[in-house]
Amino acid sequence: MKSAMKPHPTPGRASEQLTKEDCLEMFRQLYLARYFDVRLIKEKKRGRLRGTLYSSHNQEAIIVGSIFGLRPTDWISPVHRDMPMFFMKDMRAGWRNPDRMGMSIEEVCAQVWCKSGSPGRARDNWSHIGSLEKRIIHSTSMLAGTIPVAAGVVLADRLNGGDAVVLTFNGEGSTAQGIFHEAINYAAIHKLPVITVVENNQWAYGTPVQLEVPTEDVADRAKGYGIPGYIADGQDVFDVYDKVMEAVEYARSGKGPSIVECKTFRAYGHGDHDDDRAAKYRDPHEVEEGRLRDPLAICRRRLIEKSYLTADDAIRFMAEGKSSSEATTEDFPPEVVAYLDEGIRFALASPEPPAEEGGMWVFKESE
Amino acid sequence: MSAAAKAPESLKKNYLTALREALDEEFGANPDALCMGEDIGILGGAFGVTEGLQSKYGKDRVIDMPISEAAIIGAAVGAAMNGKTVVAEMQFIDFISCGFDQIVNMMATYYYRTAGEVNMPVVVRGPAGAYGGGALYHSQMNEAWFCHSPGLRVVCPSTPYDAKGLLKASMRDGNPVIFYEIKELYRQREIEEELPASDYIVPLGQAAVRREGSDVTLVTYGNNVYHCLKAADALAERGVSGEVIDLRTLVPLDETTIFKSLAKTNHVVVVNEAPRTCGFAGEVVARICDSAFDLLDAPPVRVTRLDTPVPWAKPLESFVLPSTEKIVDAALRVVRF
Ligand SMILES: Cc1ncc(C[n+]2csc(CCOP(=O)(O)OP(=O)(O)O)c2C)c(N)n1
Ligand SMILES: [Mg+2]
Repeated sequence: MKSAMKPHPTPGRASEQLTKEDCLEMFRQLYLARYFDVRLIKEKKRGRLRGTLYSSHNQEAIIVGSIFGLRPTDWISPVHRDMPMFFMKDMRAGWRNPDRMGMSIEEVCAQVWCKSGSPGRARDNWSHIGSLEKRIIHSTSMLAGTIPVAAGVVLADRLNGGDAVVLTFNGEGSTAQGIFHEAINYAAIHKLPVITVVENNQWAYGTPVQLEVPTEDVADRAKGYGIPGYIADGQDVFDVYDKVMEAVEYARSGKGPSIVECKTFRAYGHGDHDDDRAAKYRDPHEVEEGRLRDPLAICRRRLIEKSYLTADDAIRFMAEGKSSSEATTEDFPPEVVAYLDEGIRFALASPEPPAEEGGMWVFKESE
Repeated sequence: MSAAAKAPESLKKNYLTALREALDEEFGANPDALCMGEDIGILGGAFGVTEGLQSKYGKDRVIDMPISEAAIIGAAVGAAMNGKTVVAEMQFIDFISCGFDQIVNMMATYYYRTAGEVNMPVVVRGPAGAYGGGALYHSQMNEAWFCHSPGLRVVCPSTPYDAKGLLKASMRDGNPVIFYEIKELYRQREIEEELPASDYIVPLGQAAVRREGSDVTLVTYGNNVYHCLKAADALAERGVSGEVIDLRTLVPLDETTIFKSLAKTNHVVVVNEAPRTCGFAGEVVARICDSAFDLLDAPPVRVTRLDTPVPWAKPLESFVLPSTEKIVDAALRVVRF
């Protein structure tokens, strides 16, 4: 796997500045992202959930590694496969800290369960939530559609004297949208701090990457805009962190946008409705190989190398390589399970929104 | 319920299979037919409409496209002007907005601005409609955008028989067609029906009377055909006889069938799933007022979605959409005027 930054010099190793506590927290967050996925699939199979699940299994290092180093004031724009990102933003400030700049697990679970406790009051589905207060751009179905919005957000921030950057997340298939070009082109001309993270999981629904993108690396697109295009190993949380932090530094210092391509592999079907068909349209060997480098295992190895984990502690929880049906709660740290339990309890108790809300908030009413 | 299927040997088919058969048969008969769309080849389409077609007709005729609606529609236009008949799939009709300019400014106007030089045999088709909890971006009925763009035919079948016959007619029409497939009907068992074994089309521009009645005409299309039929049942229990007209094609509109019905019932309710303001129901009401006002004993009434997007949570979705109850209420108001 190529790991070069083009056309700029080799990125720094920001991850070397991370403390032991930071590294252990990242490890824990990987478990949390994995457990969110495992648990929701279980809940769906138990019939407690409706709506489609877009699994982020095997892509957690991108979620954790790219947002871990952001400042609370920075913005993110997650997409369908990044559901854990909504509650993981600014998680370093304390998982249960109500003032941190991310959603609570309760809010996110209420959204998943289609309840009024959702930040969007269950008006739109799955990842289509956001928060002005927490600086999370509200996603829609329109792929790549929030990149220009992100550019506008940081434009306004700059005009207001701020130094925030914005991270937008997109699948590699979504880079084929015309709006992807329009937005990055504009951001590059105006040197806006817009970082386009591309999660290249090799598949866009039932279509392989070769039929979506004409070049080997999506990061090559950057050349056409004269901006940096970084490539990260999307299975390695520290490599993602390094490349994204390089892009963040670059953006914050006023140099402008960049693209960070994270190479990864989609573990399951496009959504859970597609699992059976995906088993037919994807070669089982390709799937096996694509899931070989579990981000949990890679992070664990790093932590052992750094002596941040003892051999005994390292094997206490072993969720890696396990599908949702194979993994049990014993495979996850108890604080991870407890955190999600709280979210789900809240979601189940939260009422459905009242019918009349369907007719509300079309316009701002004048006071 | 649709024109009698006289093929005792054929089994009952669902709406989705009917569409696939239309494509398959037209592809077999017309070597210049091709289709382009996201995930239509290897996967066979998000819903499976094109399943099996790539292995049968090859990658050159069933083309997996990048996620680029504007390029899909624009390339369909180019291939059509150079001799092909192209079916362009939108994975959901909601995403047609990403190709909007290529439709309204490129495809729709081609024949007009070239004084009839360039035919445009393109069908842009895709799953549409609400009632399934699809929320804002997987529920739309945006037909009014295209009815308002001269040069486009707009079609919306509600039965398997019509789905097949109208898709075939659309592919042979030579004008660009926006084809609304009701995804909630794709696999609905109750509407499965036997289809003729031999080739047939349902001509564009002909409405169907789904149920005859004498007191009030319910004009609609798509999924609301079934709400109107249920409403007619409920009205019958109250001694009101409802006639249900399924427009099937919006552009061109079959005014004759509507006016013939009004001559009998003198009352009309027009139902569409899209928002009220500038929705197609408004157009139908306007045509009636333009040309058949004398036939009315009461002002025409619309039942539409509220002027809102389609929300996700079930109570909200039901609140904003037309329903059997809302249609019954409207019909009673009209006949008691
Ligand atoms: C404009 C638009 N066209 C089509 C779709 C339907 N759609 C939803 S997700 C998807 C595939 C996305 O693939 P990719 O961008 O690689 O993201 P991944 O799902 O692999 O994370 C498609 C085609 C859509 N949501 N928006
Ligand atoms: Mg992808």
